[in-house]
Amino acid sequence: MNQIEVITVFLEEGYQISPNAVELICCHCNPRSLLDDVLQNMDPSVLVVDIEHINECINERDIQKKYEVPVKAPFSKSSNIIPAQVNPMVSTLTCPQSYNPVDVLLDITDNSTCVGEYMEFVQFFRNRYSRLSEMIRGRLNSRPIESLNKYRNKKGGRREGMDKDMNEVSIIGMISDIKSTSNGHKMVELEDTTGSISVLIRMADKELFELASCFVLDEVVGITGALTNDGKLLIAKKITIPDLPNTLGERKRSYGKAVLTSDVHVGSSTFLEEEWYRFIDFLKGDTDNEVMAELSTEVRYLVVAGDLVDGVGIYPGQEMELNIPDVYEQYKKTAEYFSEIPKHIKVIISPGNHDAVRQAEPQPMLPENIRADFSENVLFVGNPSVVDLDGVKLMIYHGRSIDDLVASIPGVSYQEPTKAMVEMMKRRHLSPIYGSRVSIAPEKQDHFVISQVPDILHCGHVHTVGVEWYKNVLLVNSGTWQSQTEFQKRVNVVPTPAQVPIVDLSTLKTTILKFAE
Amino acid sequence: MGEIIASESMWEYFHWLEAKLKQEMDIANKARERGRDPKPFVEIPLAKDLADRVENLIGVQGVAQRIRELETTMSREEAALALGRDVAVGTVGNFEDRKKAIEAAIRVSMAVITEGVVAAPIEGIDRVDLGKNDDGTEYIRILYAGPIRSAGGTAQALSVLVGDYVRRSVGIDRYKPRKEEVERYVEEILLYRRVANLQYTPSESEIKLIVENCPICIDGEPTEEEEVEGHRNLERVETNRVRGGMALVLAEGLALKAPKVLKHVKKLQMDGWDWLETLIAGTKISGSEEEQTAGVKPKDKYLRDLIAGRPVFSHPSRPGGFRLRYGRSRNTSFAAAGINPASMVILDDFIAPGTQLKVERPGKAAGMAPVDSIEGPTVRLRCGDVVRIDDVEEAHRLHPEVEYIIDIGEILINYGDFLENNHVLIPSPYCFEWWLQDYSLATAEDGSAKPELKHPSQEAALEMCEKHNVPLHPDFTYLWHDITANEFVRLAEFIEEHGSLNKACSVLSLPLKESADSGIKVILENMLVMHRVLEGNILIMQPLPLIRCLGLGAKLHRRWSVLEAETGLEAVNVVSGLLVRARAPSRIGARMGRPEKSDRRMMSPAPHALFPIGETGGNTRKLEDAASYKESVNGKVGLIRVEIGSRICPACGMDSYEFRCECGEFTVPKLSCPRCGISVNRETCPKCGVNTTCARMQQLDFKKIYQRAFEKLGERESNIDAIKGVKRMMSRNMTPEPLEKGILRAKHELYTFKDGTVRYDMSDIPLTHIRADELGVQVEKLLEIGYSEDVYGKPLISGDQVVCLKVQDIVVSYDCAGYLLKISRYVDDLLSQYYHLEPYYNAQSIEDLVGTLVMGLAPHTSAGVLGRLVGFTRAAVGYAHPFFHAAKRRNCDGDEDCVMLLMDGLINFSREYLPDRRGGKMDAPLVLTTLLDPSEVDKEAHNIDVCAHYPPEFYEATLEYTNPKELESKMDLVSSRLGTPLQYDHFMFTHDTSDIAGGPPVSAYKTLGSMVEKMDAQLALADKIRAVDASDVAERVLVSHFLPDLFGNLRAFSRQSTRCIKCEGKFRRPPLTGVCPKCGGRVILTVHEGSVKKYLEVSKKVAIDYNVSAYTKQRIELVGLDIKSLFNNDKSKQTGLSEFM
Repeated sequence: MNQIEVITVFLEEGYQISPNAVELICCHCNPRSLLDDVLQNMDPSVLVVDIEHINECINERDIQKKYEVPVKAPFSKSSNIIPAQVNPMVSTLTCPQSYNPVDVLLDITDNSTCVGEYMEFVQFFRNRYSRLSEMIRGRLNSRPIESLNKYRNKKGGRREGMDKDMNEVSIIGMISDIKSTSNGHKMVELEDTTGSISVLIRMADKELFELASCFVLDEVVGITGALTNDGKLLIAKKITIPDLPNTLGERKRSYGKAVLTSDVHVGSSTFLEEEWYRFIDFLKGDTDNEVMAELSTEVRYLVVAGDLVDGVGIYPGQEMELNIPDVYEQYKKTAEYFSEIPKHIKVIISPGNHDAVRQAEPQPMLPENIRADFSENVLFVGNPSVVDLDGVKLMIYHGRSIDDLVASIPGVSYQEPTKAMVEMMKRRHLSPIYGSRVSIAPEKQDHFVISQVPDILHCGHVHTVGVEWYKNVLLVNSGTWQSQTEFQKRVNVVPTPAQVPIVDLSTLKTTILKFAE
Repeated sequence: MGEIIASESMWEYFHWLEAKLKQEMDIANKARERGRDPKPFVEIPLAKDLADRVENLIGVQGVAQRIRELETTMSREEAALALGRDVAVGTVGNFEDRKKAIEAAIRVSMAVITEGVVAAPIEGIDRVDLGKNDDGTEYIRILYAGPIRSAGGTAQALSVLVGDYVRRSVGIDRYKPRKEEVERYVEEILLYRRVANLQYTPSESEIKLIVENCPICIDGEPTEEEEVEGHRNLERVETNRVRGGMALVLAEGLALKAPKVLKHVKKLQMDGWDWLETLIAGTKISGSEEEQTAGVKPKDKYLRDLIAGRPVFSHPSRPGGFRLRYGRSRNTSFAAAGINPASMVILDDFIAPGTQLKVERPGKAAGMAPVDSIEGPTVRLRCGDVVRIDDVEEAHRLHPEVEYIIDIGEILINYGDFLENNHVLIPSPYCFEWWLQDYSLATAEDGSAKPELKHPSQEAALEMCEKHNVPLHPDFTYLWHDITANEFVRLAEFIEEHGSLNKACSVLSLPLKESADSGIKVILENMLVMHRVLEGNILIMQPLPLIRCLGLGAKLHRRWSVLEAETGLEAVNVVSGLLVRARAPSRIGARMGRPEKSDRRMMSPAPHALFPIGETGGNTRKLEDAASYKESVNGKVGLIRVEIGSRICPACGMDSYEFRCECGEFTVPKLSCPRCGISVNRETCPKCGVNTTCARMQQLDFKKIYQRAFEKLGERESNIDAIKGVKRMMSRNMTPEPLEKGILRAKHELYTFKDGTVRYDMSDIPLTHIRADELGVQVEKLLEIGYSEDVYGKPLISGDQVVCLKVQDIVVSYDCAGYLLKISRYVDDLLSQYYHLEPYYNAQSIEDLVGTLVMGLAPHTSAGVLGRLVGFTRAAVGYAHPFFHAAKRRNCDGDEDCVMLLMDGLINFSREYLPDRRGGKMDAPLVLTTLLDPSEVDKEAHNIDVCAHYPPEFYEATLEYTNPKELESKMDLVSSRLGTPLQYDHFMFTHDTSDIAGGPPVSAYKTLGSMVEKMDAQLALADKIRAVDASDVAERVLVSHFLPDLFGNLRAFSRQSTRCIKCEGKFRRPPLTGVCPKCGGRVILTVHEGSVKKYLEVSKKVAIDYNVSAYTKQRIELVGLDIKSLFNNDKSKQTGLSEFM
């Protein structure tokens, strides 16, 4: 039941309703019955139905007692855990025959238009530029780069009347080149749909320089600065990046828990089956630990951010490291595993670079013949995608671009994967760098642009768990179910397998459950 | 060293060469004196010996003399080190500072170790620098560059030792690495192995051990685009990029060649290198395991990275593959192997003379040469006949009839190749030459004097066994070891039951149907028992030895009942009462490597003249277009702006780009600093230290220059089509060539190389003996150029006599000869029309070129070798004495190099034209070796055996898997002849061949069209050969060629850069404006759908047809889906008819 429907019902009954109240109803496990209750008990004198009216009603309907989860998840040996909390109000609403709706808000599946022509590439980047520059435009009085040309004087002298004009110009451009000059300054080539210009960021401007040293290719930034005499170079004075707004409007909240995981790698010889079964047992509530058992009853969603299986032919010599050398058998096995998950838990699966879909991103959902093996509570989406989990907006991206970000931005490492995700948020783009490790399909829309700010960004790929808040957005990298591979040994990557972040959908507080012995 | 020891006749030959060389030098010097070339004298210095070469290559005065002194008492390596010390401390040479002296010392030492031939000492070391340790002391840094590879591992490792030796003598401290620097080496070397390739990758601890202990800092300039991720921006490491030279020296040099370095360290009693022993102890464990087991195992390494169109001829050591035969023909050895030309034909022409084969053993690869005195392939024809084809004519005739290739024939490999590769000898087949020695021994008579022994009748063969108790003659020895004892019994029983012998006992007949149904025919085929199929019967000729071997009596009754034997071979020896030996105990797996080469050297695009015309000649770089170029509508015709060397006449002050002013004075370059712009008359800028240059942008009235050049030559413009120049000179001073040379080259359809010479490339194949007949020359011609007697010492009178090839004589392909003829005409035109001298060659036909001096030069080297043309061959290869190849530092495992006419090099070569970048001096004749001293050529050539037959001990020893070193004293090797006149004369060979050009003229690989066509042919051949598993071939091609291509292109498509079709500008990402930001031109993709999909359909088809592994099939299926998903628009799905119903 969506918001419009709720509003319509109230309007038909002659009530106005506050947005918060609508939200509250929508995020309830059974909005229709709640709504009926509310209407029945509503004082006819009320003009505007607000949140307290609904709460009253909910409290009356209170069926379950409150409880809390201890700070430490009992399976874990480590003390390094984010404290888990449960909002007493909403969590009481767990009902056995759950209604766990998922709205897919963004997904490439069946919408791919790419056929591989040059203009598609151009349009792809133009789309990125127009949408990201729009985010900056509100904060910057920018002008097209081409318009600076009129100040370019062949003789190198300054045109009259330029001084005043040129002390401060602002442009918004996509970075096409980054260089260091011999004196150590940063020289950046900025491009918009009209032309391009070089921008100099001086070392002496410490703060600016620091910002600029995090620049990556193909991101969109705004620069305010002064033109040089010949009009060929802009000396930066201010840098504006898309970034997230500091405050977000009040967020809708839901109740219950969402379990986030990724990089299961079924079929690999390093897949941790024992630990995985322990995880499934937890989801089934099949545990001696009471706290865990109770926690498991709250789980409404399980989200897998790619690399469900290890795949075939992903890297040279992979066949030596596979227990199941057939990709379809790998999925069959996976489907078996997933079939044990209680049916009231909604499972959402998006693909990664090991999955049997195209490598170029955005990737569509897994193909029909594979989906058919899975039970009905499993929903497949593309990569990246945005889903609405009963009111909580979750952005899922496998995270291939983290490889590029680690290589390009100082201070971003595999050990702290959420640092890379912060960089995504700052740029409002999941994968800015083109031509490096990420393969792209030039679609009409740049699906990597973060237009609507999600409540949660969920990535995987790097096999290390991490949770971080950035400006009201929860960033989660959900680790892996694969122990250290030969390749990871060589490049000295230490994964954190069998650790699962579990998010409280009312507070977005996150606990990491550990299933390793 | 010192004086060359040679017989009188050899000296005559050398004097002949020297006289002719002097004559050509005189003419060339006279021509260049005219001042129309960068230098008024010949720029290729002549070197008689190694000492000369080193001095000329490195350019340090006095080195040659010192080398000659040192070499009288020391080995080459010791002399190199001693010389290094002398240069460093200043006894030899004269340097301004210590750094320069150390640098020269290291280069000189390296040059001595590498025989002064390869470019590594000049190009492989960027520079030597001094660094500061944390305790304030100094250390030596050697900065290696990519071309250090050409030095080889040992020389690379020794260069570090030289550095240490030099360091001690001048009193510089050792390198004390910081911790992060050690880590950097580890990361960087492992990264280098991923992006490039290393023969040997040391483990992490080995790298650490080397870096922490090596007293010299092994540094280098960046060679790869990749940057290290972890240990960046280190204070004492200048770059974050990967330093390839450093990785090579450390891994393939020090780590791999540690034992050799240790040997020298001990000899010189140097301290501080004890860690080498730890290193060796660490690596030994894995290496020696293999040798513990007796015998050899099949090795499939040669099958790795199989490419479409290059067929597999035999899987590792598989029955039906090449049967090893020991011996040397006059056109094999030195990493070249022989096969019967009939094999070449039957293997669908994929092997031609010169084609490189990757082989299972003894080495990695071998060049192929036709040898028709060994056995050819055994095939089953469509009619069912099984025949062995030894004759190339018959091979051509039967080729279309071939249904199945049961055995692909023998391969001739000489003992020396086993010795060189340090590979244990593997059992020799029981071949005629071995049998003959057994026979001679048993009968105490010289069997070789009785030609009838070669192919005796069946009766004679059996009689010899009875009478002399010698093993059964090889002609009647079948491959008993390939069948089981059980099969042996079945065969015997079958013949007993079904066989019928004719009266004369000359034909055994078996019923075809029963033989085929019971699998007896296959057994006979696998044993290589020839037979014919006639009227429903299998007919075996001369069957008595076979019958006897099976233990059957005259009436085909079995004379045995119970058989106690495990193998077929044992069974024969048990029941026959004869001594029967293994006919093919060793098989050599092989696949095609590179095809042979015989082609003109062309740069791409190929210019006629090294004259810069910028963009004015268009994309085709036509001089004609440049001459009619107009910058603007009203501009002057033919006025062009190009970067070109600027010179000035000291007499009249005229500016010019020419070397001699119109007033007759020689011009001098106007040098200036490219950075500061100051003009100075020095090599380096006094202000910033950058190398100065005289190149600058200039206006040229090119139309005038162009027309004047034609006038000077007296050529008409209309007679010559399209003369092509270059866009820009690559040399430091941008010195152009005289335009006239380009005009004459275009007239004769010749293309120039980067150094002004015209070259022709050919695959190297050795040749030690020739026949006038096969070279296309008359005996008189050979007599004329100094050949007088044949290999047996008889006077040379007829064309079919075998003659020892003189060391510097070469035989080239007819195509090459035609090209050389054109070059000779060009040189003659140049001499008469341009230099106004007498033409020199006056050759009317290629026959006139016999006796002409040429220069051989191999890639990665900088020393040419003087050669003489002696004849021509239809094969697309360059035949020359193995010493000649070794002097160029080539062996014959598929390498190729070039020849040029000597006079062309002398007149036209100039260092001024050489590109001013890393590797620019490689592949250029910086020095010419005039006399070939076998002790100064690549040591590999010393391991060639030159005897007429191998001793019986040798054959017996092969059965024991003996190390070839143990037999060194029993074999007649080149190494034992060094320093005696015999080092040049009286070489012999064990197997003759009637025609060194036998077999197909070019490999089918080159005549087949598309890659798919090649692949089809490859698989069709794989289907036919018993020793090849076609499904495995298909799988390997898919996995190592097609799939990587598909994945690579798919990935490249999604990450591709774009380019402008107008200005050829490249963009990492398509510009947002959509058009070229530089010129507004149209921008296009660099990777298209077509190139991504290229191999998809054929891969799918092959995967199904050859039933490759499920894993590979699935990979193809997935990549197909991936491609479909990427290139198909979901929105424009085809609407099915059903939707309207």
